[in-house]
Amino acid sequence: MRDYPLENRSAFPPLVAAGAGASINLAPVTGGFVIHVLGDAKSDEAALSTAIKTIAPDLGTDLRKSAPNQWFWVGDADVSSDRLAEIQAGLVNQFALADQTHGRVRMRLSGVSSRTVLAKGTMVDLSADVFAMGQSAMTQIGHIGAMITRIEDDSFELIVLRSFAGSLWDELHHMAAEFR
Amino acid sequence: MSSLVKCPHCGLRPREEFTIRGEVATPRPNAGADEAVWFDHVYLRDNPRGEHSEYWHHSGGCRRWLVLTRDTVTHETSDVVDASTLKLGEGA
Repeated sequence: MRDYPLENRSAFPPLVAAGAGASINLAPVTGGFVIHVLGDAKSDEAALSTAIKTIAPDLGTDLRKSAPNQWFWVGDADVSSDRLAEIQAGLVNQFALADQTHGRVRMRLSGVSSRTVLAKGTMVDLSADVFAMGQSAMTQIGHIGAMITRIEDDSFELIVLRSFAGSLWDELHHMAAEFR
Repeated sequence: MSSLVKCPHCGLRPREEFTIRGEVATPRPNAGADEAVWFDHVYLRDNPRGEHSEYWHHSGGCRRWLVLTRDTVTHETSDVVDASTLKLGEGA
């Protein structure tokens, strides 16, 4: 654990205009937490989910699988370093937590054209009948590594490294230009 | 399409998401083996026509090392497994 407090601050300026359009909308998600969970080779999501429910029932169990035995645990509450240390202490040593709140940025792309826009950057099939609600995929949008999660019918949340967030934001605006 | 690789964890993904490391090396020779054997192991690569095993890293996805069996003539990938499932060079 780090020995100094981190102030979590959004990568976006306070009044960033959501890119509103008739069929497409891009908005930053400010606040909340992103925690990278690493499990050992025998860990499973059900056990992790149960453990989280017991230790931190208020934070939800939005777990997005990023690799075998690795997840991003995402939520909208603010989690202090002390709270994180408490949660880590309560978890069996099968799981290790690494706070990524400062390092990964969430943004939401929604609207009926969202799939068409994302299809310009990734080849993951996001069709409603293939990519279920809540399902995640770690992939690339153009050359930028990003995690895509379907959060609503035509709405996707993207998790991207903070230093790439500006580029991805601009790129998505270009990709969505035809729908505004 | 030949440029699609079926990652055992992520499913069908484009080749651009992967970094190719090269052929799966033959087992490491004994420490006291002849210099020529070591030279072969370190510097000489096979360039087979047909099936070939290679290490691929899914750097744009799950970030796992995979072992991919690829036909160098048709570029068809017949088998892709996580590298951790193989115990290569054991007892060599």
